[in-house]
Amino acid sequence: MRAQAKVIRWTDGVALLYFALALLFIFLPVGSLILFAFQDGLAPVPPFKGPTLQWFDKVLHNRRLMEALWNSVLVGGVSSLVATFLGFLAAFSLARRDWRFARGAQLLLMAPITVSYLIIGMGLQITFNMMGVDRSLLAVGIGHVVINLPLCFAIVYSQLGEHQANIERAARDLGAKEWQVVALITAPMLWPTLLAAYFIAFTLSWDEFVIAFLLSRFDVTLPVVIWGLLRSGLSPELNAAGTLVFAISVAIVLAVELLLWRGRKAVANG
Amino acid sequence: MAEATPRVSLKGIAKSYGETIALAETNLEIAAGEYVVLLGPSGSGKTTLLSILGGFVEPSGGRVWIDGSDVTDLPPARRPTATVFQDYALFPHMSVSANVAFGLAMRRLARAQRLRKAEEMLALVGLKGFGERGVHQLSGGQRQRVALARAIAVDPAVLLLDEPLGALDLGLRRQMQEELVRLQRQLNATFVHVTHDQEEAMSIADRVVVMKDGRIEDMGSPSRVYLKPASLFTARFMGENNLIEGQVIGSVNGQAAVDTVLGRLLVDQPAAAGEKVHLALRPEQLRFSAELGAQALGDAEIIEFSFQGTHFRVHCRLAGRELMARVPAEGPPMAGEMLPLYARAGDLVLLRQ
Repeated sequence: MRAQAKVIRWTDGVALLYFALALLFIFLPVGSLILFAFQDGLAPVPPFKGPTLQWFDKVLHNRRLMEALWNSVLVGGVSSLVATFLGFLAAFSLARRDWRFARGAQLLLMAPITVSYLIIGMGLQITFNMMGVDRSLLAVGIGHVVINLPLCFAIVYSQLGEHQANIERAARDLGAKEWQVVALITAPMLWPTLLAAYFIAFTLSWDEFVIAFLLSRFDVTLPVVIWGLLRSGLSPELNAAGTLVFAISVAIVLAVELLLWRGRKAVANG
Repeated sequence: MAEATPRVSLKGIAKSYGETIALAETNLEIAAGEYVVLLGPSGSGKTTLLSILGGFVEPSGGRVWIDGSDVTDLPPARRPTATVFQDYALFPHMSVSANVAFGLAMRRLARAQRLRKAEEMLALVGLKGFGERGVHQLSGGQRQRVALARAIAVDPAVLLLDEPLGALDLGLRRQMQEELVRLQRQLNATFVHVTHDQEEAMSIADRVVVMKDGRIEDMGSPSRVYLKPASLFTARFMGENNLIEGQVIGSVNGQAAVDTVLGRLLVDQPAAAGEKVHLALRPEQLRFSAELGAQALGDAEIIEFSFQGTHFRVHCRLAGRELMARVPAEGPPMAGEMLPLYARAGDLVLLRQ
């Protein structure tokens, strides 16, 4: 019998071309953004002259951008921590307690995923207004907890299976109190999942513009500053700032993938 | 000798989920130092009974007593029981010795003592020097031993084993059965072990409790339950059996005469005339001569046979009934050959429906 893999058909060529075009379509915007961050000139438009690192140097010495970067790290870091923590507690409780409304509660918790950020942002603006909470980084952070909590809940919930429940039962059987079960068994056992949930929440907060724009005033996050600069025209400095934001996102996504991969490997060996 | 307080006493324990009865009202006493095996097919209620004993399932009725105190309302953590789970349920993020010492840490034992005891327990289950390893580095059999060491480390009054050998291959299972019995004798502990494997039950139990449909069908020493089953289900479930329907003609001197397709047979058990019964006879109890007053059943035709090492397992037909017999290895049978069959009144077991 002839090996089928050796036969090359013309349809394979078409498929390959299609694949290349699709990749180009997806990556061209990001690619040109990154390319013109190295533009040796004042306009980030072709032809490409360069490369140079002067725009990155400028970004790193732009106080407004650096302050915004720090604000983004602060908002993302703290709001993701809160979202992961609350999501974990909710998931643990709903996965473990035999509650007749558990299914309904789960749907209710996940519902915000389907609502657009604009609607959530407007709702929060109105609510904060009524409560007398000023637009601030705190308000933005609360907004990011609102959008990330459902996601963190869903990620942790999916990992709390019957095998994990049995492990917790074993701990209880050996005399562990409920808080000891959570602190010594469940949370450490789930740490790759918890870290993955944290980093996914962080990247979403890091990139988020609409809620950050609606709920902040003087102290703003990085996407809001970049948007402000965009209004005064294109500059390679903005490309450099965007490239940095993108690079940090990619680094975090890679970290998540690595964690999940290690988690799966541990499960496969377990 | 005065009647000692039983280690475990289940009084009127029942469990239902809505309309479904998982366990009908059940009474069971277990003595200290006894190895009890709960045996039955899936859905027989054996695991429910074990879970109620461990405190993981709340009974719908009845009380659980351990060493004379009522533990029905106590959570697993506060019961003097420890469980070996079917999937082992080891703590994946801890070392072997941290796993074994976990129960002791919960009892606030000092670290040095804890580790010493863990080392001792690991040696007891044949895992000396494995303490520093991660759980992921162990084989299935080794994990089983860690689960066992972790449970016995807290000196439970009763050790509960939920199908502990189910995931192991046959050779390892046989070996672990022997080790469980050795360990139980050595610790002089009380073990309650759930399984659906009747060979496993017979080889390790002091007492087998046969369960079916949420009820205890039969209970006794493995040899008694095997040789003199108390119910039709037990006779069928415990190994191979020949079952012959019949009707009781009458009883004299504690012996019943039963009319069957194989003729009128005497059984060493009294029964009322007219009763419809089954007679059970193990394949190895079918004899081939009239020695020791065995009753003639007739000549059976050999249909097929297979060599089993110590004997031939012979499938034969008599009066339209298929029977299973065992022929010694030195007298090989032939298909189509006629085999005279005899049965002793003392070997036949009379079973009511």
